[in-house]
Amino acid sequence: MFSPQTEEKFSKLVSRYPSKRSALIPMLLFAQDEKGPLTGEIVDYVARYLHLTPLEVEEVISFYSMLTKKPRGKFHLQVCTNISCMLRGADKIWERVKEKTGLKPGQVSADGVVSIEEVECMGACTTAPALQVNYDFYENLTVERVDQLLEDLGRRKGPDTSPDSEQMESSPRRRHDAEHPRATRLLTAGMAAKDSRSLENFLAREGYQTAEKVLKSMNADQIIEEVKKSGLRGRGGAGFSTGMKWGFVPRQSPKPKYLVCNADESEPGTCKDRPLLEYDPHQLIEGMIIAARALECHQAYIYIRGEYRYLFNIVSRAVEEAYARGFLGKNIFGSGWNLELATHTGAGAYICGEETALLESLEGKRGYPRIKPPFPAVVGLYGCPTVVNNVETLSAIPHILKNGGEWYAKFGPEKNGGTRLFSVSGHVERPGNYEVPMGTTLRTLIEDFAGGVRQGHQLKAIIPGGSSTPILTADKIDTPLTFEDIAKAGSMLGSGAVIVMDETTCIVNVARVLTRFYAHESCGWCVPCREGTVWMRKIFNRYHDGFGRKEDIDLLDSVAKKILGHTHCPLGDASAMPVISAIKNFRSEFEEHLKLGACPLEKNLVAV
Amino acid sequence: MAETVTLTINDKVITVPAGTLLIEAARQNGIHIPSFCYVKDLSLQAACRMCLVEVEKTPKLQVACTTVCTHGMVARTESKPVIEARRAVLEFLLTNHPLDCPVCDKGGECELQDMTFKYGPGTSRFIEEKEHQPEEQVSPIIFFDAPRCILCYRCVRICDEGMDVKALEPIGRGVKTIIGTGHDTLDCEDCGNCIDICPVGAITSEEYRYKTRPWELKYYGTVCTHCSNGCKTTLSVRNNTIIRANNRDRTGMNEDFLCVKGRFGFDYVGSSDRLKTPLVRRQERLEPATWSEAVQFVADRLGEIRKAGGPDSIGALGSPRLTNEENYLLQKFMRLIVGTNNIDHHRTGDYASLEAALARRDRREALLNVDQIKEARNILVIGDDPTTQQPLVAFNIRFAVRRRGARVFIINSKRIKLLRKAAGSLLLTAGKEAELVAFLAHHEKSLEQAAAEIGETPEALKNFEMELRGAEDLAILFGAEIRGNAVNDLVEWATTLPGAPRLMALSDFANSRGAMDMGVSPLWLPGYAPVHDAHTLEQLGRAWNGTLPNRKGLSQPEMFKAMGEGTLKGMLIFGANPAEPSANPADRSVDNDAVAALKKLELLVVSDLFLTETAKLADVVFPAASFAEKAGTMTNCGGQVQRLQRALLPLFDARPDLAILTELARACGALDWLHVPWTEVLKEIARLHPGYAGVSVSSLMRGEIPCTVLSARKEAWPDAGELHRLAASMRPNTSRSLYASGSLASHSPTLVQLQPRAAVQEAFVEKYQM
Repeated sequence: MFSPQTEEKFSKLVSRYPSKRSALIPMLLFAQDEKGPLTGEIVDYVARYLHLTPLEVEEVISFYSMLTKKPRGKFHLQVCTNISCMLRGADKIWERVKEKTGLKPGQVSADGVVSIEEVECMGACTTAPALQVNYDFYENLTVERVDQLLEDLGRRKGPDTSPDSEQMESSPRRRHDAEHPRATRLLTAGMAAKDSRSLENFLAREGYQTAEKVLKSMNADQIIEEVKKSGLRGRGGAGFSTGMKWGFVPRQSPKPKYLVCNADESEPGTCKDRPLLEYDPHQLIEGMIIAARALECHQAYIYIRGEYRYLFNIVSRAVEEAYARGFLGKNIFGSGWNLELATHTGAGAYICGEETALLESLEGKRGYPRIKPPFPAVVGLYGCPTVVNNVETLSAIPHILKNGGEWYAKFGPEKNGGTRLFSVSGHVERPGNYEVPMGTTLRTLIEDFAGGVRQGHQLKAIIPGGSSTPILTADKIDTPLTFEDIAKAGSMLGSGAVIVMDETTCIVNVARVLTRFYAHESCGWCVPCREGTVWMRKIFNRYHDGFGRKEDIDLLDSVAKKILGHTHCPLGDASAMPVISAIKNFRSEFEEHLKLGACPLEKNLVAV
Repeated sequence: MAETVTLTINDKVITVPAGTLLIEAARQNGIHIPSFCYVKDLSLQAACRMCLVEVEKTPKLQVACTTVCTHGMVARTESKPVIEARRAVLEFLLTNHPLDCPVCDKGGECELQDMTFKYGPGTSRFIEEKEHQPEEQVSPIIFFDAPRCILCYRCVRICDEGMDVKALEPIGRGVKTIIGTGHDTLDCEDCGNCIDICPVGAITSEEYRYKTRPWELKYYGTVCTHCSNGCKTTLSVRNNTIIRANNRDRTGMNEDFLCVKGRFGFDYVGSSDRLKTPLVRRQERLEPATWSEAVQFVADRLGEIRKAGGPDSIGALGSPRLTNEENYLLQKFMRLIVGTNNIDHHRTGDYASLEAALARRDRREALLNVDQIKEARNILVIGDDPTTQQPLVAFNIRFAVRRRGARVFIINSKRIKLLRKAAGSLLLTAGKEAELVAFLAHHEKSLEQAAAEIGETPEALKNFEMELRGAEDLAILFGAEIRGNAVNDLVEWATTLPGAPRLMALSDFANSRGAMDMGVSPLWLPGYAPVHDAHTLEQLGRAWNGTLPNRKGLSQPEMFKAMGEGTLKGMLIFGANPAEPSANPADRSVDNDAVAALKKLELLVVSDLFLTETAKLADVVFPAASFAEKAGTMTNCGGQVQRLQRALLPLFDARPDLAILTELARACGALDWLHVPWTEVLKEIARLHPGYAGVSVSSLMRGEIPCTVLSARKEAWPDAGELHRLAASMRPNTSRSLYASGSLASHSPTLVQLQPRAAVQEAFVEKYQM
C-alpha cells in the first residue's frame, strides 16, 4: 500500500518502542505525507499493523490538528494568527492569503494545488508573522512576500516541500544574541558557526567530552547532587528544580526507567527551543546522555512537535551520527553504559506539552493529561518511572557537569541559577531569542537586547512568560527575570516568552486571540476548561465586534475565575489568567469598546 | 486487620481502610459528594469536576474521586467555595446542553437534571449560540445524541473495561468531542450497558425512545431467565406491557451489567405467537378449550393409562426454565400422584457428578458462586465460551483481572474471546478436555503421549500445568465438556492445588441448577438422595403424606426409547421442546426418531408459551405464563437463589405452571393440593432439601441472595458409574449464542433481528487480532 521508503519508516518506527502502539502518531503522519487524507483504507492498514481497532486509530486522528481525513492541496498554507504573529500584522497576511487564493479555510483550489488554513502558534514568534507551506516555514512575512510566494506556488515552483528536507534556506537564520556586547553565551555559544549543528563542529568544541568524563567517573548520586547545586529549574514553564525532579525517581524500582525530552514547544510566544534543536542538537544529546546516567535509564525519547518536522529531521540525523560514533547505543565511550535514544514526532496538539499528556501521546493515544499523583517520576511512560525535561533544561546539563553546579548557579541570583533563553516577540525593534543570566531585568532584555519598543511607540503591556501568564502593565519593566520577582509583579516566568505590546495594541483583542487559542487547544477532558474556554471565546468575539453588553466584563471575569483552579490540568488556569489580568489591568479599555460599539484601536493593527 | 486512617469530613471524624478514596469514605459515612464521571470499579477520570471539595493544607479545591484519604486529613464538602465550584460545573455543562428535558427519554431519571435541581444555578448567563451536532443512530438498537452528552466517559469505560469490546471512544477534541464509533456502526455485543450507565439522555435505545416518561412506569426487579447466570433485570411496565428492561438502580449481583438478552430479549413475552388458550386435540386438530376441559381431559387420560400400563407407563420432562417451585411440584406430582421416577429434564451442567465428587467435603468451601469470581486471584475456565454463553460470569472474570489483578487460564478447543485476558492457555483438539483433566489428575500417561492426544506440545502442557500448580485459591469453572467421571478427576486434581480451590459447573439455562437440585431426575430425589434411599423416601413420604416409588426411573433418552418401543404411553412435558430440530444437521436422524417416538404416545401433554415443535404433536397444550407473569425462585449456576417477581398479570389465558400442576393434581383426585403461593412451596423445599436449608422467603423479600450448596450428604453416591453413564447422555445446547437461548429467544423480535451481528463481531475480532 505504501512506498518502500515509507514502509521502511514504519518498520523502523515500531522497533523503537516497547509498545507497538507508540508508533501510531508518527506512522499516521508519515502515511499522510505520502497518501494525503487518512482514508478508511489507511486507518484499516495502520490498525492491523499495530494490532489496534480502527476506532483506536480514528480517535487519535481526530485529536491531532495536523492529522486529517479531509483533502488538502499539494501546498497547504497554514497562516499563524496567534499573538506574536498577530502583533506583527498576521491578520493582514491571512486576509491577503484568502483574497489572493479566493479560498475559504479548509477549501482546496480547483486544480488541487493550494489549500489554506488559519492556525495557532507554530513557534515562529520572533520571526513573525509566519506561515507554513506543508512543513516549510516562511517567516518575517510581508504582503509582498506573500504575493510572491503565492505566485511561485501557482506555477508549482514552490521550494522543496518534501517532509524530509532538513534545510529551510528560505527562512532566515533566527537571530540570537551573538552580536550583543553583554551577551552571556552558554547554550548558544556554539551557534555562531555556520555548521554548528554538525558533529565535527560539536567535537571541535570539546563536545561529548563531559558526557564521557561523567560516564566514566561519576555515579548517579554525584550527578544529581551537581545538578541540585546548579539551581537549574525546569525551562519548560513550571520552573521546578531539575535536581529534585531527578531525585524523585525510585532507584530501586525493578521497572525500566525512561527519560523524555519535551521538544513540544508550543506555548504562544515561545520559540527558544527551536534554535537549540536546529543549531546545536548534539548539545542536547550530550545532556540526555548525562541525564540518563543520573536516572539509571537506558531508553530515552525526544518528543518534537509535529510542526517542527525539519527539526525532527535535523535531530534524527544528529542521533544517527551519535550512534555511528558510539556515543549512543551499547557501551557508550567504552564505559559499559547503554542508552538508546529515539526521536518522536507529535502531530499538532498544544496540550501534549503538558508532561503527562505528552506521555500519553508518546504511547500512541489522545493527549489527555493524566491524573496526578502518581507523578511520572514514579508512574510515567508505560507505567514506569520517567523524567520529562525541556530541551533547554537538558541542553544546560553538559555545561553544569563540565564546570560544576556552583559555577552555573552563580550566573543568576539565589534559587535562579544559570542563564535562560528568552524569546522576545511583538512590538520590539529586534525580536529574537536572547540568552541572558537569570535575574536580568525586563528592561535590559527589551531595551538593550531587543532594541526597545519599535520606534515612535511606547510600551503598553508585557506578557513575561508565554501566553499562559498574566499580562503585566508597562510600569513593571524593571522587574528582574526570576521566578520569584515576576511572581511578585503579578505574573509568572513561565516559558520565558516575553511578548511586548505597544500602545497600538487592543488588549481586548489580545485576550480574544489568546482565548481562541485555549478554546482550540482544550483537550475536552474536563468540564470547566472544555466549556469555559469556548464560552469565553464566544463572548470575546461578540464583544470585540461591538456587540458587548455591560455585564459581559464581569461575566468574562467570573467565567475565567470559575475555570481557574478547577481544572484537571494547568491549561485551564492558563486560559483564565490572561483574561483575569486583562480585565484587572485594562478594564477601561473594555469599557471603551462598549462606549464605541467597536474596537477603538482596530485601525492600528498594521504590519510593522 | 488492614491498616486504617482517620480523617475529618465536615467535622465528622471517620476511620476508613488506608487507600480509600475520599469520595468513597464520605459516601460510606453518609456524606454525599456529587459526581458524574466517578463510577466505583471503573477507572478514575477526574473529568467532571463535580466532586471538588476543600481539603485543608492544599491551595486548590481537590477532586474527591482521586484523592486518597490520609491520616489527619480535614475535608469540607459543603463550604462556600465548594458549593460555588459545583454550581460553576453545572453552569458550564448546561451551556452547550440542549435543555430538551421535556422530550428527552431521561427526563425524570436524569442525573444532570437531579444535580441541577439540587446544586445548580436556576438560570444561565449563557446567551451565545450552542454547539450542535445531529443525533445519530449508531446500531440497530442504539442512538447517540451528542449535544446531551456531558462527556463523563462512563460509556467508554464500561465498553472497554467492563465488556472488553472498545466500541466507543471520544472522537474530536475540546468542545467538539463526541463519543464516537469511528465509522457508521457500532462494532459491539449490543449489551446496551452504555445506555444504563449514561447519566443523561445521550445514549438511548431504539425500543424505548420517545415511548413514555419514567414516572408513568412501574418497576419490577426480577431475574433474567435467558441464561444460568441470574442477572437482576428491572422490568419497566405500563398498561400490563413491558416497555423496557434494564438494571436501573445497578443493584443485584450484576450491578453495572446486563447482556443483550437481559436488556432486549424480553419482547417474546408480548409476542402475538403466544398460546392464548388451552388446546385439546379433537379429530386430529388442536382446538381451543377451556382450562377445566383441558385439565380434566388430561387427568382422565392419565388415570386410564396408569390403570392399563402401571405408573411407569407415564413419564415427564421438567425444564431448566421453570422455577424451583414448579420443578419441585412436577417431580412431586410424578412421584406421589403418578407413582413413578420417570422424570428428567434437558441437562447441561453436570451438578450431579460434582455433588457426588464432593461427598464428605464441605461444599460451602468447595463450590464457587458468581460473586466469588470477582474476588478470585486465579481463575481456570475449561470449555464453554463465557463471553457468549455466560455473559455475567465473563464480566466478573474481567472484573477480577481488572480490579484484583487475577490471572486467567483457559482450556478450550476454540479461540474464544476470553483468551484476550488469559495469562495462560491450552488450545486443544475438540472433545479432549476430559482426557486432559484425567492426565492432570492421575498422570497415568507420559507427558508426550498426553500432549499428543490433546493436540498440544509437551512444553505447552508442562508449562501450563506448572503455572496452575502454583495458582493459589484457584476458581475453576467448567462447561459441559467436563462431565461424568471427568468431574471426579477434576475434583481430585483440585484437591492437590495450593490454597482452597473452588469449582463451578457452567450450565446453559436459567434454572439448570435448580432443576437438578429439585430432583427432576430419574435417579435422585430433591437434595440428591438416591431414589431408593430408604431414609429420604420415608422422610418425604411422611411430609407428602403418601408412599413413593423406589424403582429407578427412565432418563430422557431412555424415555424416548421406551416411547418408541411402546412401553411409555403417556408423557407430560413442561417447558421443554425435545422435538426442536438440532442445530447440527448430523443429528437430524435423532430428531426424526424423537418426533416418531412422540407420535406413538397415547397422551402427550405440553405446557409452554408457544406452539413449539413438540406442542404441535401434543394432545393437550397448556398456555403457560412467562417469567414476567409469575413469581418464584431460580437458582443460578453458582447456586445463588433469587426471586422472580411478577410484573404482569398473565397475558391471554396463560397460567403459571405452578397453578397448572396444582389444578392437575386436584383433577387427579389429590384434593389436599391447595392453590398455594410460591412462598409456601419454597418453605416446603427449605424444610426438606438440606441444600436449601438456609433459604428463607423473608430474606429473599429483603433482596438477599442466599447461596445453596447442592446437598449436605455425607455418604458417597452408591453407584457413581451410574451417574456418569447418565451424564454421558447430556446434550449441551449447540445453538446458543449471545443472541439465542433456545425457543424463547427465537420469539424475541429484537434478538432475532440482532442475531446476524454475532458473526460480524467474530469476523471483526479475528480481523484486528485484538
